[in-house]
Amino acid sequence: MAEVAYVKASRIFSGNPPVRAVDELSLDVADGEFLVLVGPSGSGKSTALRMLAGLEDIDEGAIEIGGKDVTNVPPKGRDIAMVFQSYALYPHMTVAENMGFALKLRGVNKAEIKEKVGEAAKLLDLTKYLDRKPKALSGGQRQRVAMGRAIVREPAVFLMDEPLSNLDAKLRVETRANIAALQQRLGTTTIYVTHDQVEAMTMGHRVAVLKDGLLQQCDTPRALYDKPANAFVAGFIGSPAMNLKTVPLTAEGAKLDGIVVPLPRTALDVASGANLSEVTFGIRPEALGIIPSSSTEDGLAMTVELVEELGADALVHGAVRIGDSSERFVVRVDGRTPPTLGQEVKVAVRDASEIHLFHPESGDRLTD
Amino acid sequence: MTLDAGSLQVVRPDRVAPKRKARSKGASAALHATLAVASLIAVFPVFWVLVTSFKPDARAVETTPKLVNESSLDNYTRILSGDKGSFLTWFANSVTIALMTTVVAVFLSATTGYAASRFRFPGKRSLMMSFLVVQMFPFAVLIVPLYNILLTLGLQGQQFGLVLVYCTTAVPFCTYMLKGYFDTVPADIDEAGRVDGLSPFGVFWRLILPLAKPGLAVTAFYAFITAWGEVAFASAFLSAADESKTLAVGLQVFVQQNRTEWGHLAAASILVAIPAVAVFYLVQKFLVAGVASGAVKG
Amino acid sequence: MRRFLERHWYAYAMVLPVVVVIAVLVLYPLAQGVFFTFTNINEGNIANPVLDRAATFVGVGLRNYLNVLSGDPSFGSFWSTLVRTLVWTFSCVFFHYTIGLGLALLLNREVKGRAVYRVLLILPWAVPAFISAFTWKYMFNAQYGIINQALRAIGVDNPPVWLGQNDWALVAVVIVNVWLGVPFMMVALLGGLQAIPGDLYEAAEVDGATPWQRFRHITLPGLRSVSSTVVLLGIIWTFNMFAIIYLITGPNPNTRILVTYAFERFFSGASRDYAIASTYGVLILSVLLVFAAVYRRALRKQGEVW
Repeated sequence: MAEVAYVKASRIFSGNPPVRAVDELSLDVADGEFLVLVGPSGSGKSTALRMLAGLEDIDEGAIEIGGKDVTNVPPKGRDIAMVFQSYALYPHMTVAENMGFALKLRGVNKAEIKEKVGEAAKLLDLTKYLDRKPKALSGGQRQRVAMGRAIVREPAVFLMDEPLSNLDAKLRVETRANIAALQQRLGTTTIYVTHDQVEAMTMGHRVAVLKDGLLQQCDTPRALYDKPANAFVAGFIGSPAMNLKTVPLTAEGAKLDGIVVPLPRTALDVASGANLSEVTFGIRPEALGIIPSSSTEDGLAMTVELVEELGADALVHGAVRIGDSSERFVVRVDGRTPPTLGQEVKVAVRDASEIHLFHPESGDRLTD
Repeated sequence: MTLDAGSLQVVRPDRVAPKRKARSKGASAALHATLAVASLIAVFPVFWVLVTSFKPDARAVETTPKLVNESSLDNYTRILSGDKGSFLTWFANSVTIALMTTVVAVFLSATTGYAASRFRFPGKRSLMMSFLVVQMFPFAVLIVPLYNILLTLGLQGQQFGLVLVYCTTAVPFCTYMLKGYFDTVPADIDEAGRVDGLSPFGVFWRLILPLAKPGLAVTAFYAFITAWGEVAFASAFLSAADESKTLAVGLQVFVQQNRTEWGHLAAASILVAIPAVAVFYLVQKFLVAGVASGAVKG
Repeated sequence: MRRFLERHWYAYAMVLPVVVVIAVLVLYPLAQGVFFTFTNINEGNIANPVLDRAATFVGVGLRNYLNVLSGDPSFGSFWSTLVRTLVWTFSCVFFHYTIGLGLALLLNREVKGRAVYRVLLILPWAVPAFISAFTWKYMFNAQYGIINQALRAIGVDNPPVWLGQNDWALVAVVIVNVWLGVPFMMVALLGGLQAIPGDLYEAAEVDGATPWQRFRHITLPGLRSVSSTVVLLGIIWTFNMFAIIYLITGPNPNTRILVTYAFERFFSGASRDYAIASTYGVLILSVLLVFAAVYRRALRKQGEVW
């Protein structure tokens, strides 16, 4: 068990110009915490994990595990275990040998290895397969062996690099829950990398969002969803993505298609303080709603282009004219009464407190 | 020949191009006929020497060829009994030298091939380039300087000196082959091993070598063949004494002294070819995967 | 610097043995060989530690190169020998490649007894060169060799004297070398064929490609990188292949190529002429280096950087 800290850690790939794959990452992970690193491909999330594993050099800054600086310690001295995306099972060893290999290297006696492997196998429902080679296992079983290999070692930190991405959708959801439960039970600090924000939100105690090697925000899933620190996080977290539009600002609010959406005073003060004439306006599909065309309430005129029926509710994609351009919006509506394709509907903001405002250039959040 | 590790694909020796329709009878017959004729051409010279090896010298040069003509095992008996030179001693020398070359060359090319496959280090490109260039020079004309160096090192006349010289011939190509083979082993395996507590050498020794057995087998075959039949270096760098000769050198002398003893020569050739063919048979199922991975991205 | 060593020391440790062996047993002799080309060194004037005799050879500047490059027959008629070497190399590699590719394509199909065919077809590779040389010499014998007996049997009254002083000798050694070299090409190309993803063929078939179009547009491009490597290696090896020619036809001027002439100068003759042999070695190296550079540029033009 141990806490983990990135202290302004950078990984710079040589090239012209050099690429800062991870740029001054500072992150503290508490003992026993499940932290998810999430971001699009090329965001540096895997590199950050591999730096912690000792598989990538740390070019600047430092990394600590359990309060000890491990910046220049090779992987084997870090007391970590890692689950790889490809699982990286040793093809020439049986499941039991795969799981016990690290213990064998540490000189643990055979009886003890057998016992620990047995325990882990039981936990992961692998007892029947201990004598098989990885080749003879299904994808899900291989994934569990990779998990078992990590568990058997009882490391200070688990590192997982997209461990579910090679599973089919159903198994992925199932395994997701299993991993989270397992981590809860073992209480081992875990750093988990994924590109899938649903995985991040459902598994992590906290989620760190990366983009272009820079940490965007690190917070609980709830906080990320409710108060994204910038437009990137706002667009990345949540499915379907938040509607984000850069629109002109008036004295009362944001101007959308002839109507003015009133904004909180505080937001307007910040915007005028920064001398902004425009603002990036964000609203989640569930904070919008379709109102009867007879309603006197102000609304945006939207032409329905696509209706995705999800059962309980439906997602309505449509085009709204803002100024000269046509902007796409997504609205979540009740699944039983969706509009039809091509229909003109009137869309209104249900709850003004759900409006997020960001700086049009930097993308930073303007309000609390 | 630089190194583009990314796009290498693992070669599955048993895969064939997909085939939709069954071949027609005629096409099938033509296919088999072509392969059979080619196989015949490939095997016939060896077969013919085998046939000849049982004939007495005088029958071997008759103008009407026959498969069997007073055939017997006499040629073999006489050669093995030492009538025609210390055949068995030469044989033992050759086996020792070829095996030593195999072990040393496999070791050298495996470590180098692994470093070239996994690490980026300054000088890697020039190293791999130099491997290509050294194959361009006819090294046998350097016997004189080589002789002097071996003398200085105290290896002249020693089997090990000859082994090292053979390694310089075998290692460049073997390194390419093994590098290609190592490229097909995912680097994740190395990393898993590092995390499990292995040093970089431990990864090489305990994970990569066991996984690269087919590649190693092919490399071993190549090194063995290189050393087994070589004449020029062997006659220059081993002492002239009869008991230190290799088979190839001994037979060469035998050929020069007994130009007409075709039957005996044939029998001796078969005896020399047997170990090489045996080694070949052991590794042949790995050959396609092993050579290909080296050549695909050489 | 410390950081540099820390990061790379294991890589260097792993290549060190090879670098030492190559440096001592290849680069140093090579340097000495190049030095020899500027002297008149031969067996008579070299230092002989066994006889305790000091070296008496002297520097001759570029005379060896001038002599050789003049094309003088007493120095091996360099230019005509070079032409013969090119004929030898390209005809051998051409047949190696085409026959090897043909057989690889056949073996890549589902055919009964594939494993057996494969073993038989690779067999020549396993036979030591001097045994092959002896074997073929025996078969090519003008009177009792099986080849001419077969030719007579099918009605060729005056079959060629294969290994005599005429161009049939060159044909004969090319045949032997093709026999010897096809297995390597076949094996490498077979591996290359198996690395081409099968779904490419399926996609092409769905697109309506004929077998020829599939070969032309999928197989050949798929084999490009294997081919470019093995052809280059084949050319280098064949250019320097002395064993077959030397063992089958000896110092026959009709089969003389650059490398066998270097050997003749080195091994035979009254005084072993190390200087000329080394000069030939350096010239061979130069020709191949130039060729490799051109070859590489040609490949790069086609978008294949190797």
